[in-house]
Amino acid sequence: MSEMVSRRAAGDGARRADARAGSVSPARSGPVATVRRAVLWVPDWPVVAAMSDAGIGADTPAAVLHGRGMMAVSAAARTAGVRRGMRKRLAQRACPDLVILPHDEGRDSRVFETVAAAAEDVVSGVEISRPGLLMIPADGAARFHGSEESLAEALVNSVAELAGCECAVGAADGLLAAILAARASELVPPGTSRDYLADAPVGVLPLAAMERRQREQVEDLVGVLVRLGLTSLSDFTALPAGDVLARFGPVGRWAHRIGRGEDVRPPVLRRSEEDIAVRYDFEEPAQRVEQLALVAGHVAQQLDAALLEAGVRCGRVRISATTEQGDMLERVWRTDVGSRSGAFSRHMTDRVRWQLEGWLSGTSTGPEPAPLTSLGLTAEDVVPLGSEQAYLWGGVSGADSRAQRTLERVQSLLGPDAVLAVREQGGRSPRDRVLSLPWGQEAMPARRIEHPWPGRIPDPAPATVLPLPEPLQVLDAGGAPVRIDRRLAMSAPPTWVRLQVDPRDERAAAARRHPSSGHVGHGEGGPTWGLAQPVEAWAGPWPVAERWWSPDASRRACLQIALRRPDGSPGQAVLASFTAGEWVLEAVYD
Amino acid sequence: MSTQTDPDASQQRRLSRARAALKGVEARIGAPRPATDRPVLPLAPELAPLLPEGLGRGQVVSVTGATSLMLALASAASAAGSWTAAIGMPTVGVVAAARRGIALERFALIPHPGAQAAQAVGACVDGMDVVLLGERLALSDADRRRLAARAKERGGVIIAAGEWPGAHVTLTVERSSWDGLGAGDGRLIERDLTVAVGGRRQGAVRRVRLALDAAPGLRFARTGARIDVDRVNVDGEVA
Repeated sequence: MSEMVSRRAAGDGARRADARAGSVSPARSGPVATVRRAVLWVPDWPVVAAMSDAGIGADTPAAVLHGRGMMAVSAAARTAGVRRGMRKRLAQRACPDLVILPHDEGRDSRVFETVAAAAEDVVSGVEISRPGLLMIPADGAARFHGSEESLAEALVNSVAELAGCECAVGAADGLLAAILAARASELVPPGTSRDYLADAPVGVLPLAAMERRQREQVEDLVGVLVRLGLTSLSDFTALPAGDVLARFGPVGRWAHRIGRGEDVRPPVLRRSEEDIAVRYDFEEPAQRVEQLALVAGHVAQQLDAALLEAGVRCGRVRISATTEQGDMLERVWRTDVGSRSGAFSRHMTDRVRWQLEGWLSGTSTGPEPAPLTSLGLTAEDVVPLGSEQAYLWGGVSGADSRAQRTLERVQSLLGPDAVLAVREQGGRSPRDRVLSLPWGQEAMPARRIEHPWPGRIPDPAPATVLPLPEPLQVLDAGGAPVRIDRRLAMSAPPTWVRLQVDPRDERAAAARRHPSSGHVGHGEGGPTWGLAQPVEAWAGPWPVAERWWSPDASRRACLQIALRRPDGSPGQAVLASFTAGEWVLEAVYD
Repeated sequence: MSTQTDPDASQQRRLSRARAALKGVEARIGAPRPATDRPVLPLAPELAPLLPEGLGRGQVVSVTGATSLMLALASAASAAGSWTAAIGMPTVGVVAAARRGIALERFALIPHPGAQAAQAVGACVDGMDVVLLGERLALSDADRRRLAARAKERGGVIIAAGEWPGAHVTLTVERSSWDGLGAGDGRLIERDLTVAVGGRRQGAVRRVRLALDAAPGLRFARTGARIDVDRVNVDGEVA
């Protein structure tokens, strides 16, 4: 998919460069040869993708919400009166059963891959213009299928069967005419695109803009044209090209050419690369690791041979195994692409063995261990040999790949969640400022560090941050708990602090039993307090009120306290916070 | 005059004789390798008084009493491209690690290795350059010896919190005092550590005083700060 995106970006860049070149020398206005193309359009793609991803039936009223309005609306919702651009509240009033789905561009492109694959079943090369819209050079494909009608029929059938969604196909010369034809399910005869477009309103121009920023520019342009009284495309295209460029700039020039039924660039086709997979079915369900290790080696060698035969390498390998109970055990391993060819099968053997050992010994998470019936390896992120991306300076570093392998080994030993990758993120308390994820997993968008975060605990950061805050006692000179009221006034300066100690410590346990320890009345289950330590110096209270609008709202006051040991030497420094009448220990500066 | 030059000349003679004798012994037994031959990992300059010979590869350093000292020991190596793993340290402050200079993209946390601690640590010692170990790991003394031998063979460094029998260097924080707090005002700014350096080949225990978290801009920004600027430059061996 990244390939697709980059190609689209490249195509866009070419288009922009084209427009820029046009603005420099208006005389060089010769269009690229207009290509006859068929366009496959899936109506309301964002909502179709969201529904198929969420497993909602096609007859449910659903809509995708983006920003403040509905971005795409399903057919059932449209019948109920929901329209594009409607606010959430209005839409829910029109249709109370409306399922509102979040917007996700990645999901749109990802799910559209199945549609593209279904179209590639019929024709050899397609261009994904944007999720929901496919472009196919029609000439060759139509010759192969007999006529454009049969090509359109084959495309519609294939998409309905393989991808499970309705689509419309149209064909015409030039980009805009083809898109309009697809929306109307028409086949415009060759050479008549300009007439076909002449009656269309200028409002159709944004349909040919594939990128969001460009579409916004074109929408602005359309607004100006309508206010100038140029409502149909024929009115607009009748203007001299030079004047359009002078008045509207490159966007106007682009729209002028598109509106006349010309192309600004030829379609960029993508070739499908199939995932390479090998699979081994056990004649008898296998459970012993030695047996599996042999098979793992065999399968890995097969995959290596298949990759070599296809002349490609892969960036990731998906190992999947099926158990007797029908459970799927699946995990994706990264492999470093560039470095090795012969060593590949040995490394994959190791990984398969680690994974299976982990499952069968029950140490890693997953379904119940059971004998395996089949084992499969799928190569993903397939790239042709020799086009792998190495580091900017030199090749893949040996230490880096060694460390990656080590961590994968530990993951196979302890489970994938036992090894964490950490990142810094924005936040106020030391605990909030860390984002930790299982090693190798893609990071979620973190809170931004650059934001100001008023009330953040100042540096230096504490070296020990408790994952869960621990109770703590902050006492005044008389031994009564210090309290902080709503106006941040402290009842008394803190004089003593009692930290929790390990209850297994014998001296602490003995002290706990003594009536003067302050444990009387707390029963057996309460925390075990250590000796009261005098406060050397303190700072605060610093108020932190966060997310008052949400259920996880918190309101605390923080205190930095430096303690003194009983022998008079300086002790540790702690970060304590007071929330809901209780003191907790947040972090230790040790 | 002659009475003054004679002792000088005899001193010179004795010195040259001693040097010749030493050379003979070295030729017979084999010269000791200079300490600089051993490969070392980079070490932050402010920690140089602690480990004058540098953070040697294959060593075990045990640190008692300060997590930030462990992070500081690992920081320069991590910034220079080494991989770091922290095992059995669920409470390590990641922001503090990043501030000390540890590159988080080469930093892995294994907070709860459980009963398989020995295997997990062994795997990390094999593949990583610096391994930080928490205090409560399920490692027997035999495991520790095996891990130390493995680190020596692979050239990694183990920085362990708490006691480690047979550690090459033992750093014990004896006193740590923070500066910057008042009675309800100020904030933690700088701290002084007094570290006792001992270990297998270290001879007598040395005590070294060093300042951590000293942000140079801050020291002058606070008015009335009672901080002696010169102290940072002094090597400061107290004992």
